[in-house]
Parts: sequence; structure tokens; C-alpha cells
Amino acid sequence: MAKNSGSSMSKALVRRETIAGYAFMLPSLLFFLGFVIYPMVQCVFTSFFDATMNREDIFIGFANYVELFQDKVFLGALKNTVIIVVVSVPVTCIFSLWVSSVIYDLAGPACSAFRCIFYLPVVTGSVAVAVVWKWMFNNYYGIFNYIGTSTGMIEKNINWLGDEKFALGCIILILLTTSVGQPIVLYVSALNNVDQSLVEAAEVDGATKFQCFWKIKWAQIMPTTLYILVITTINSFQCFALIQLLTSGGPNHSTDTIMYYIYYNAFKLYRYGYGNAMGVVLAIIIALLSAVQFKMTESK
Amino acid sequence: MKKRKVMALALSCVMVCSLAACGGKDAGADQTAADPAPAPAEKTEAPAENTEAPAEKTEASTEAVAPADTAQAADITLWTYPVGKWGDSAVVDGLIANFNAVYPDIHVTVEYLDYTNGDDQINTAIEGKQAPDLVLEGPERLVANWGAKGLMVDLGDLWTDEAKSLIYDSVQSACMGSDGVFYEYPLCMTAHTMAINRDIFEAADALQYLDEETGTWTTEDFQKAVQAVYDSGQTNVGAVYCSGQGGDQGTRALVNNLYGGTFTNAEHTEYTANSEENVKALELLKSMDGINFDASIAGGDEVNMFCNGTFAMAFCWNATQEKNNQDQGNINFEVLPMAFPSEDGRPQLCGGIWGFGIFDNGDEAKIQAAKTFIDFMANDEKQAVESVKASNFWPVKDLGDIYAGDELMTEYAKFVEYMGDYYQVVGGWAEARTAWWNMLQQIGSGADVKTAVEEFVTTANAAATAAQ
Repeated sequence: MAKNSGSSMSKALVRRETIAGYAFMLPSLLFFLGFVIYPMVQCVFTSFFDATMNREDIFIGFANYVELFQDKVFLGALKNTVIIVVVSVPVTCIFSLWVSSVIYDLAGPACSAFRCIFYLPVVTGSVAVAVVWKWMFNNYYGIFNYIGTSTGMIEKNINWLGDEKFALGCIILILLTTSVGQPIVLYVSALNNVDQSLVEAAEVDGATKFQCFWKIKWAQIMPTTLYILVITTINSFQCFALIQLLTSGGPNHSTDTIMYYIYYNAFKLYRYGYGNAMGVVLAIIIALLSAVQFKMTESK
Repeated sequence: MKKRKVMALALSCVMVCSLAACGGKDAGADQTAADPAPAPAEKTEAPAENTEAPAEKTEASTEAVAPADTAQAADITLWTYPVGKWGDSAVVDGLIANFNAVYPDIHVTVEYLDYTNGDDQINTAIEGKQAPDLVLEGPERLVANWGAKGLMVDLGDLWTDEAKSLIYDSVQSACMGSDGVFYEYPLCMTAHTMAINRDIFEAADALQYLDEETGTWTTEDFQKAVQAVYDSGQTNVGAVYCSGQGGDQGTRALVNNLYGGTFTNAEHTEYTANSEENVKALELLKSMDGINFDASIAGGDEVNMFCNGTFAMAFCWNATQEKNNQDQGNINFEVLPMAFPSEDGRPQLCGGIWGFGIFDNGDEAKIQAAKTFIDFMANDEKQAVESVKASNFWPVKDLGDIYAGDELMTEYAKFVEYMGDYYQVVGGWAEARTAWWNMLQQIGSGADVKTAVEEFVTTANAAATAAQ
């Protein structure tokens, strides 16, 4: 009797806690369903329609998808987006890992100061960041041209944002400055959580600094690395604000990205269905890449 | 235990309330973020802050309306682009106060837009069934865009025979859609000009090539003037800015006027920018020392660089630009506004027309109240003058010399007679504008001019056809 009442009491407790757990989750779940899941489903659904402003949607099947893979501007935007990802993701990871490994064992105030410095671009608004960089890249009186011509590194001013040879590189540079802050903070934390006894034991056994890092620390910070890879990839694929503020996709479509082209089609041309089709393609690409990244890092 | 339950409950409430916090902004008297750039030409960046005192309240005039209308009651919203001081809440509050002195029960809430995000805000509002009642902007948006999409109210009852007899013909035709319906009731207009740094031109002995009194010059004299300025050491004389659509009315006017080309046909159904004249004009600009095709700047940037002396001339200019930049102390040289150069010295300037449109939100009371607002602002004998002066532009009908004693406005008034065809109502306009600056970028990076222009016209006409 005592045993039965004990077990039914614990079941009641578990039920109560389960209900409490779901109740706490409910507001965020509603938010997630309403602002993430529903728009995603709507996006996929609308991508099969010719949808525009103030007119009934017309079902066209896969026509949007067929069109976008024949659209030279979309293909160019896809290429630019891939370039941004391929360059910025490894550079962000390597640079932030290097900085973190240098600063993580500094004295408290020094480490905090460096973390602040690198995190500042992250918390500064995109518009402010873009305005300052636009001034620095200015063709006529920007600081880069001033230093370059004064020191003889360049013969004449370079139109950094107006020349298709340089524009995409400038965008990637700005993106890097705003991307490294969070990985540095995460890596510093991860490196501080590495089990030092393992490192000491390895050193006693004659391991070099590089071997200690590669065999012990790198393995232990792998979950952080995976997170940084995935997040940086997603952020790089979704690069939009810098393009809109600085180049509008030019010069000559050299800085068009998929996100900017989605915005242009949806908000300027009112081609909602076509824009959504691009969004679906982008989501599939990001999902595939993320899956590959998970697989690669898991196997290690 | 009890304390924990209370904490847990409080936390849940905070989480629920945090969802409610993500609501939309009230369409109150919000002012969009000010920007150090000067007030826009037709389509450039957000306006500068304006510190002028609000328009004085005038005594209410009841001449234009029947006594029964004063009893109208409604809450309506006005979304206004920064058309002169119509982007300044202090000024607009004064105008609305005048309106409320006559119509105390029609409450107007104002949302201030900028040209960077304004279109996106309105499009989002339309799709969310939250479109404003009134919008102050030009025919390319009110007529050719939203009007053509069936989103605007027919304002034919405001276009009485008297109104038609008073408002200039070119303005009337711009306010009417291709279906013959009036979607806009105009308030003000301007002719966009260019400007030169008179001090630099004088030092380069280039003033001999222009007529300061009429503000005109020929294409041949324009070339000589630019060369003289360039040879004097001012290597950046001017720029064909093309990083985006901001200020593109300047580059269009420059190209069209040099050899008398046109942008569209007279019926506004087709783009004609691939004429021999326009190709010749672009080839000339490409060949000129001192004129750069710059894909890193748009109209607003060009204005800033003209004001800070980087350029000796600006192609994106009008009276409001000079007024605002002078007020902010950005200019320390003498500005000489000029018409765009033309072969015969008689230019066809790109016009700007601004007026009111009403979104059809299905609420008849609000629509009538909005029409009452328009009628008061644009037709009331005393208020119309205040409304137009707030825009820093000129009236669309004869209101007398409203800028008597104002040297600057009087100086710019001479260009209004050169206002050419308002063609910005042709179909596919959004796509055509993008194709225009893309074309300029191609030419700037060395592409063949004729090929680039043909590509532009093909793209633009395809968009025009699709829009019909």
C-alpha cells in the first residue's frame, strides 16, 4: 500500500513538473511557431505561386525555381555569396582562435579589455559601421587612399567601393570585423574550460606546445568550433545590410548576394513568389552545408 | 517554497509580456532619424534636421468648404516623405493645427518617412492591411505604382472644373493614371537643376561659358567650362554618380539635355533612351576630363562632396538643397544654380511634382475626411500658400508671388519655365531605374556605350510591357 501510494505520488510529481515545464516553454514556443515556423511554411508555399501586391496568387508550380536557375543575376549573386562564405568562415575561425589563444591566459582586466575591443563592432549598429567604413573607403578623401598615396603604396586613389575588382573584398573585410567578436568571446571561454591536468600531463610526457594544442585543446573546444562554424556560415550567407548600405549590389552586380537579391525582388519588384523561391534555395544550401559541417566535426 | 512559486509566476508574466512588446509603432508624430545629409532632391537620402520655427497659424478660412463639413469626425493617418519641411514635425504640426481650427474633429496622426526606407515601410503596411489614409509624394508612386495597382482612391471629385482650369496642364496629366483616373491631387512642383561652385569657375575663368542671368549654357560651352576648370587644377569637376537610384533624376537630365535626347515617348508607354542623341551624350561624358563615372556614390553623396568642395559642380540639386545646406553652414562658397547644358541653350529640366493620395482602406468616413484634408491644404486661399511654402517648392497653380522678398527662391524660380515632360509615370519604373544606374556603372567600367544603352532599353521596355 505504502509502495503504491509512493509511486503514484512520484507520477503526480513528474506530471506536475512536466506540465510546469511546458507552461514555461509555451510563450517562447508560441513565438517560435508564429514568427519562425509559420513564415517558413508560408515562404515555401508562396514559392510555388506568382504572388504580387493586391492580386490573387497564381499557382505556377516550379516555374519560379526554373526561372531563378536561368537568371544570370541570381547565379552571380549565388557565386558572390559562396565567395563570401568560403573566405570569411575559415578566416573568422582561424583569426578568432588565434586571438583567443593569445589573450585567454592574460590577466583579467587585460583579457576583458581585448574582448571588449573585438566585440565593439558587433554591438555597434550596422548603419554606423557602414557609414564609417564608407568614409574610410571614400574614393576622393578616404583614409585608405590618403595613407596609400602618401606612403607610395598606390600611385593614385582607388575607388574601393566603386571598382568591381575591390568592392567584394571590401565587403568581406567589413564583415570580418563584425564577425570575429562573438567567436573570440566564445573561444576564450572554451579555452579557459580546457582541463589543464591533461595539458600538464602531456607536457610532462614531452608533448610540444603545438601537440598540446592540437591533440588536447582543439579536441576539447570542438563543440565551440562547430557552433562558430555553423553560425558564421549562416551569417555570411545572410549578408545583406552592408550591401544595401554601401553598394546596392554593384558595381556591375559584383556585390550582389542572394539576400540582397531576395530583398530587391520582393520589395522593389513586388515579386513575392520569386523572392520566396530564392529564400527556399538559400535555406536548403545553408542546411546542407550545416549538415556537412556537423558530420565533419563529429567524425573528429 | 511559496517565494519560489511567486518568482516563477512573475517570470512567466514577464515572458508573456515580452511577446506583447513586439508590437508595431503608433503612427504618431514620429520623426524618422535625422541624417546630416541635406534634404533630398526627388529621391535621395533622409533629410537634415530642420530647426526653423513652425509655420505661423493662420486664421481659418472657410471659403472653400460648406459649413456642414466642419462637423466631420474621423481619425486619419498621414505618411509623408521629406518634401521640404513636410519632413519636419514642428512645421507639419503647425499646418495641422490650422486644419484643426476649421475641422476640430478630424484628427491627423503623422508618420515621417525617408527615401531610403519609406517605400519598404509603405509596402509592408499595404501587405499588412495597415496602409495609411493619406500619403504625400509624387505621381511615380501615387499614380504609376500604387494607383496602377488599384490601391488608391479616385480623387476625381477634387478635380473640379475650376481646379482643372487653375492647375498647370503638365501637372494634371501626371496626376492621372493610364485608366483616366486621378490618383493624386498636387500641391507643389519644382524643376531639378544642377549647380556650380562659382568661386572655382571664376578662378578658372570659366564663367565666360555660361549665362548667369538665365542660368543656361550650351553643350559646347559646358565642355569648354569643364575643361577650363580641370586645367586649373580642380581635377574632380563633377561625377556621374551611379551607386544606386538616389538622385538619378540628375543623371537622366544631364544625359537627355546634352543633345536633346528623351527618356520615354510622349505617351509614356515606352523607353526611348537608346536614341543617337543619348548615346552621343554618354560618349561625350565618358570622354571628358574631370567627369568621372563613379559607382561608389549616389546623389546624396555627390551633394555632400559638392558642398565640401570636392566637386566643382553637382548634378543633383534644387532650391531645397541649397537652402538646407546654407542653413547648416555646409557651404562656404557661392553656389550658382544652372540648368543642364543643351545644344540650343533651352533645356528640358526633370520635374518634381508632389501631392496627396488616399489609400482605399474601405472606410468611407476616413476617405471623406482625407479628401477634406487635401482640399483644405491645397485649395484654401491662405492655407495653400503655407502648405506650398512648407515644401520649399513652387505651387502647381498661380498663387501669386509667394516667395516675394526671398532671394534664393526668386533665383530658382527662373528654372520652372524649363520644366520638361514628367515621364516618371511610365510602367516598370522601379526596374527601369535600377537598370539605369547599372547601365551607368557598365559604361564607367569600360563597356561599349551603345551596347549598354540598348541593354538598358530592352530591360526597361520589358518591365514596362509586363506592367501593362
